[in-house]
Amino acid sequence: MALTKVYDAATVFKHMNGILNVYKPSGMKVKHVRNAILSNICKGLNEMEQRKPRKLQENISLLGTGTAADHVLHNIGEQTDLSDHLLSTGPRYLPRDLICTTVSSLGDHTSGVLLFGINRGAGQSSSIRKNRPVRVYHLIGHLGIATENNLPDSRVIMRSNHRHVSADRISSLAASMQASHQRKMFELCGVDLQTQEAYELACRGLLRPADDSQPVVYGIKLIHFDRPHFTLELHAINETQEYLATLVHDMALDLRTVAHCSQLRCVRHAHFDVTDSLLRHAWHLPGIIKNLRQQRDILRAHPQLLRQQRVELRATD
Amino acid sequence: MFCSALRNILRNSQNAAKNATITSQIRNLRGQQSVHHEVEVLTSPGITTKQNDKKTEPAECEGSKEVALDFRNREAHVPSFNLAAYVNNSSTLQQFLSLGVDLHSIERRKGLGDFVLKLDFEKNVKPYITFLVDQGVSPDDFGRMFTKNPLLFKEDLDDLQTRVNYLKSKRFSDEARQRILTQNPYWLMFSTRRVDRRLGYFQKEFKLSGHDLRLLATREPNAITYNMEHLRKSVFTLKEEMGFNAKELSDLVVRKPRLLMIPPDDLVERFSYIHQDMGLPHAQIVQCPELLASREFRLRERHEFLKLLGRAQYDPQKDLYISPKTIVEGNNFYFVRNVAKSDLETFDLFLKTR
Repeated sequence: MALTKVYDAATVFKHMNGILNVYKPSGMKVKHVRNAILSNICKGLNEMEQRKPRKLQENISLLGTGTAADHVLHNIGEQTDLSDHLLSTGPRYLPRDLICTTVSSLGDHTSGVLLFGINRGAGQSSSIRKNRPVRVYHLIGHLGIATENNLPDSRVIMRSNHRHVSADRISSLAASMQASHQRKMFELCGVDLQTQEAYELACRGLLRPADDSQPVVYGIKLIHFDRPHFTLELHAINETQEYLATLVHDMALDLRTVAHCSQLRCVRHAHFDVTDSLLRHAWHLPGIIKNLRQQRDILRAHPQLLRQQRVELRATD
Repeated sequence: MFCSALRNILRNSQNAAKNATITSQIRNLRGQQSVHHEVEVLTSPGITTKQNDKKTEPAECEGSKEVALDFRNREAHVPSFNLAAYVNNSSTLQQFLSLGVDLHSIERRKGLGDFVLKLDFEKNVKPYITFLVDQGVSPDDFGRMFTKNPLLFKEDLDDLQTRVNYLKSKRFSDEARQRILTQNPYWLMFSTRRVDRRLGYFQKEFKLSGHDLRLLATREPNAITYNMEHLRKSVFTLKEEMGFNAKELSDLVVRKPRLLMIPPDDLVERFSYIHQDMGLPHAQIVQCPELLASREFRLRERHEFLKLLGRAQYDPQKDLYISPKTIVEGNNFYFVRNVAKSDLETFDLFLKTR
């Protein structure tokens, strides 16, 4: 079908629904990202064509006199309601007219994919959140330096030698940690790993935690090593920024050195990839509308994001 | 006196009721009946409202009569949360709309909505418009000026003329005065002595000549009326924390007076990035103060992109020199095409890896 240009703000506002995929820069809070996006949406809508002020209802019934002044008399009877003028009531669209909820939050120092549900998309965002999709992170660790909160913006508390660390050792440790986390999942279900019951659980799909309290790591592997930096790819649910930073620190301790997490980047959230993310210079109305349409296509291609049968991990005490 | 007359009339009517046999008394009775009607009309509102306070009865009668008869004024006195409720009835507000004044912005500031509502256009507003037109202010700027500073109509016109004459005596040109009045509507709220003290502070602090002082005041008139404590803090930051000497500081401030109005914490962060990570010396920063006025994340994005491409070379003595001024110019598309000589897809990919 042919694309049509839309100039009416009300039409655009009506279609302002769905999931929005933005790329959150590092060092910016989620709250500020949300405020910036809502402000830019309202700024764009207020610059488009909007409805004219209302007409005042006049009780005067102007009868035609049959002369050339008829149209003038009818114009006199129809006055504009100045209380509906933009300068009287303010802008037509305000940020609080839009509902905007996040699917999952990101820490201040974390960059990457951040999903928002806008207006009717708020229901979709809560459905996605309840289904607990996996998020994929790229962590860059810096060997040899430990900081207070395991992130690069705090003070250095320890330095150590890291010449004995190699890519093979990090890969082995990552594989060992992955196996430990997988075993922990089955233990939380109360089944033995060597039983038919565990096999049937594994056949039914991904074991997801029942609530938000327990971080679960499904995969962790080394994808790049360039001393003193190493890059891990991590698949997790219910993770937080502090948990990931502490993970890098604990890995370094197991390798008999110290490290901190110099960069945290979320590259995928379920099927919402970083390549579809909206960068900061594209956070304006045309970019947002285009991105909403892209994410809508992704949701249609993968309906299990909204409705899904799942096995929940429960402790059996 | 009026109350005593009322009492006499009441007593007469009581006496007339007793004697009903004589014809002359019958005529008196007719007269008393008509008087009784008038008494009822006059006294019933007063008696029902305040029976004890007899002194205020006539005023109460007059007030109730006015309220009952005039329905149009009653609407104007109904309380409202905004000025839009009065726009259709108030000719002053309609004139403000014609000028382009944003009434929505005015009503959100405390006390201004009430003040604007009570103005009379012919008496309170028109002389000031005539005054501003005489100073050469463009009518297109009236809406913005009155939106920012409606309290201008509180000031005395002679005082305003004195303040403009002060600027004239200090050899501000006509264009400079127009720009000052347009960019900073609050300037006219400041008395001559106060403005003189502010200008003296700038001249003494930065050792400015008269021409440089006029240039600073014209470039950023808001800096002259800015919070004095914030100004001192910014000056301290620029001088002590960043290490600019007196000459460099004067050049910076005259070129970019807006630096004095930026929060010092943001200013220190930007300077730290420019001086340490980008490696620009103080002399080069003075040549290009737009760097300090630019937001830090833009600087960081663009500098790291240039470093990735191998084009981050800001030393004028070497090859492949890139002027720091061009880094802060234009939007990202212009920067990528003209400064980095790259394409937007590469820039987007770069931004998504950091």
